[in-house]
Amino acid sequence: MGIIETKDLTKVFSSGQKKVIALSDFNLSLEKGLIFGLLGPNGAGKTTLIKILLSIIFPTSGEAFIFNRNLSDFNIKKRIGYLPENHRYPNYLTGGEVLKFFGRLSGLDDLNLDKRVDELLEMMKLSRWKKTKVKTWSKGMMQRLGLAQAMLNDPELIFLDEPTDGVDPIGRKEIRDILLDLKSQSKTIFLNSHLLSEVELITDRVAILNKGKLIKEGTVSELTERKEEYRLTIDVLDAAFQMPAEYNGVGINPLNGNTYIIKSADLSQLNRFVDFLRQNDVLISGIVKEKSTLEDLFISLIQEAERGTIQ
Amino acid sequence: MRNIYLITRFTIKEAMARKVFLFFAAISVLAILLTALLLSFFDTESIISVVGNQPGNNMILKNIVTTLEMMITAPLSGLCLLLAIFASSSFIPILLEKGTIDLFLSKPVSRAQLIYGKFLGGTIVVLVNIAFLVIGIWLIISIKFSYWDAAFLWSVLIITFTFAVLYSLIVLCGILTRGSMLGMMLAYFIFLILSPVMALLNNKADTLIKNDVVRNIVKGIYYFIPKTSELMGKTITDLATGMGIAELQPLISSFLFLILMMYLSIILFRKKDF
Repeated sequence: MGIIETKDLTKVFSSGQKKVIALSDFNLSLEKGLIFGLLGPNGAGKTTLIKILLSIIFPTSGEAFIFNRNLSDFNIKKRIGYLPENHRYPNYLTGGEVLKFFGRLSGLDDLNLDKRVDELLEMMKLSRWKKTKVKTWSKGMMQRLGLAQAMLNDPELIFLDEPTDGVDPIGRKEIRDILLDLKSQSKTIFLNSHLLSEVELITDRVAILNKGKLIKEGTVSELTERKEEYRLTIDVLDAAFQMPAEYNGVGINPLNGNTYIIKSADLSQLNRFVDFLRQNDVLISGIVKEKSTLEDLFISLIQEAERGTIQ
Repeated sequence: MRNIYLITRFTIKEAMARKVFLFFAAISVLAILLTALLLSFFDTESIISVVGNQPGNNMILKNIVTTLEMMITAPLSGLCLLLAIFASSSFIPILLEKGTIDLFLSKPVSRAQLIYGKFLGGTIVVLVNIAFLVIGIWLIISIKFSYWDAAFLWSVLIITFTFAVLYSLIVLCGILTRGSMLGMMLAYFIFLILSPVMALLNNKADTLIKNDVVRNIVKGIYYFIPKTSELMGKTITDLATGMGIAELQPLISSFLFLILMMYLSIILFRKKDF
């Protein structure tokens, strides 16, 4: 059993006669020690899923388990950290006081708390703001404080909802490094983010949600790999050589200059094509499997889902 | 218990950060200073010497002192209660704001502990403020008359209890609406209008209301709602004059109201999505 298990998780919000399905029969099994990215357009149900897993809202049907325990057991939260989207801290508290309060609430004792707070403020480069009231802090600083708050109890599982929201590029890189460091400590990170390029950089697995439904799930490389497509880069020696548009069932599409996209369902066909090029004194400088970006995949999947071509 | 203590402490800190509680404390300081100033014009030594020569002198002095204490604190404590309702009505709505409640509920704290902590925190802040006001006035009068009777200090607990009963309703309304308005308006309505009117109607029900059904409805409403006017009036007077609580019904029925409001608050809060 994974660290997170959901079975047919469904959440329907009712407002008078109107019903909105925020999550529909969602099934997930998440292994320990991964960075998992949950993607989806606004209103896809990403935050709803996290909130159900943290018992902030309750599912309409289905069930979920964290650490093999029922969500109603609030003691599991001693092993969980959470950075909510648009989090708010009491503005009359200083950064240090915020962390101390939430640290105590997370079950830390006062003996270790001071050290842990200083450690985290240092890690987030907020030490010199420790005694400043958070009402004067910038969005980026608040976001880093939120991340520190989520890590207070050294949790095994961390939910991060848009962790780099409002953070500058350098800050984002630092947050990415922190997340990778946490992963190296076998922590599991559940990440909600709109920044697909960032998700692509650090996640091991991603799931794409649309209108409450899971439409795709897998590792980043599995999802972004374009089957039967290769990128070929050549150096032509013989000026008379003309690249054909098709060779024995292999499709050849020029991309730019000496780069082509090769379509071949059969590896032996592809190799015969390579032989053909070599016989014509064409120097091959590279041939790699073609990949799309996570963003390309995301957009095409959402568009397909909107058109109803995938469920 | 640790979680309730932490939330209670947090609520007290939150209250201290509010200007309205500072205003509350400022009013108390002003009231104490004014009392001291006012009594400095009194020739209390002549009063004491005149009373001292009379039979039952201790009782007369007690009456003078208690009446003076009641005259000063009754309107002030009423005002303080109004301020306390205003100041505490936003404790729950602020907790329930998006981005705040998510943080609290993501911690190993039960929903009931959150409500208990918020309730206790608000009540303790009001207890401290009321105690400061009442003890301050009591000290000044006692020193001036050289007469010490601690019975008057019971009013600290009764005023705080009255607030706690109204605050339990504010907590319930806060959870229901995620706003402060309804709770505050209802608390003011009960404190200023409903409770005094119902107390009066209940006393005169047998003579004023001839219809049995109407009379029973009036009595039903009377017994259900908190008896803030009786608590702040007769109960405090009875305790301050050392008579003890002559009638327990206002205290018990108000306490039951508090329990019901807290029970409903927790049931509702446990089921609510945020």
